[in-house]
Amino acid sequence: MAAEKRSLRGMAYASMFGALTAVGAYIMIPLPPVPVTMQTLFVSLAGALLGGYLGALSQVVYILLGVIGLPVFAGGKAGFGVLIGPTGGYLIGFVVGAFIIGKLTSLRQEPGLLWLMVAMTAGIGIVYTLGIIQLMIVAKLSFVKAIWVGLLPSLPGDMIKIVVAALICRKIRRRIFNKI
Amino acid sequence: MISFGQYRNGNSFGHRLDARVKILAMVILSILIFQARGWEIYLLSAFLCAVCFISRLKFSAVREALRPLVLFAVLLFVMHLFFTDGTPLFPIPYLPVQITGEGLFRGLLISWQFLALALSGAILTMTTSPSDLVCGLESLLRPLRLIRVPVSDIAVMVSMALRFVPTLLEEYDRIKTAQMARGAEVETGRLDRRMKSLAALLFPLMVSALRRADDLAEAMEARGYARGPRTTMHQLSFGREEATALIVLGILLSLVVLSKY
Repeated sequence: MAAEKRSLRGMAYASMFGALTAVGAYIMIPLPPVPVTMQTLFVSLAGALLGGYLGALSQVVYILLGVIGLPVFAGGKAGFGVLIGPTGGYLIGFVVGAFIIGKLTSLRQEPGLLWLMVAMTAGIGIVYTLGIIQLMIVAKLSFVKAIWVGLLPSLPGDMIKIVVAALICRKIRRRIFNKI
Repeated sequence: MISFGQYRNGNSFGHRLDARVKILAMVILSILIFQARGWEIYLLSAFLCAVCFISRLKFSAVREALRPLVLFAVLLFVMHLFFTDGTPLFPIPYLPVQITGEGLFRGLLISWQFLALALSGAILTMTTSPSDLVCGLESLLRPLRLIRVPVSDIAVMVSMALRFVPTLLEEYDRIKTAQMARGAEVETGRLDRRMKSLAALLFPLMVSALRRADDLAEAMEARGYARGPRTTMHQLSFGREEATALIVLGILLSLVVLSKY
């Protein structure tokens, strides 16, 4: 009973984070130089709060929401085509990134702000690595050009998002830590 | 804010069709749309219009579902129009930008792709009830069980998330208005203040989402939810209509693939 109860709550949390990531695609904050969306913030939070397995599962749920036709990908896109299109690597990166953030966070009993930021930086790094690899392959861009298009514009926003995610995570972690 | 093409009850060919076939069609269509060039664009546009007609979707309903996305499409068009290198069509005085033929072509193509993808998604969600959609998804993903993916859990989670996306969007709108009324500076102000008000926006959203998840888990527990194989009220069935739809889809696919070689 205990294990079942735990996993049901975990499932509810993970699906909620899938929905939050979808909502994050619609939250645009005008930071210099380009407006940023909040998807990667929720990827970081899903990994850090739910752990590797459930965090990755929450992002799978997010991708499936888009695949069945809800306009939940960045800029209101939907469909399986986005997943194999130029920006699909980022979406696959969300799953892997959340998993890595979760695993890194759980290495410490009580992760501090700095450790959280290190874990999130590593995870978001994976998101961008996979994103840029697919961008290079599908859009046939050179490595330098792919970095210019796919990394540099959103880099400042992502650093801010990591700080904000770590702050929120510290505040909220105790609320759900014993429940999953 | 946004109305995802919401399900409209009906009894047309498009409504009756098995959800698995429809999801499969959506996947194939979105791949075709992504690589469409030249005459394929007309073919796919005609196909989408035909599907709208067969599913007896009202024009006003389709327009309603696509309206929030038209702005994005226009933005995409303008972006490609001005920022693609190529030969200028005509000079624009006093402005540092130029309109190129390549930019015009590319902008049209990209915004068509965007709208066509959105339309095919909207048709799917408008003709299929969410429970059928999740049921079809589960049955399509079932082969993944062999590599120990918890398919039925994922299907339940997708249906939960599907239910909560509109609620959370509404919640976010409310929180944003409330925080702006209290003087939060999300769009203006110094960087550190902006970060603080960003956290003040997202923190309540997350707390409320987690509370909802708690309630949901407790409610499911109280009703005796158990993981594992489950039955559904409406059985998926594969009949003559599904076969017809698959054949039409196959013809479309092979037309495009054959024309490549």
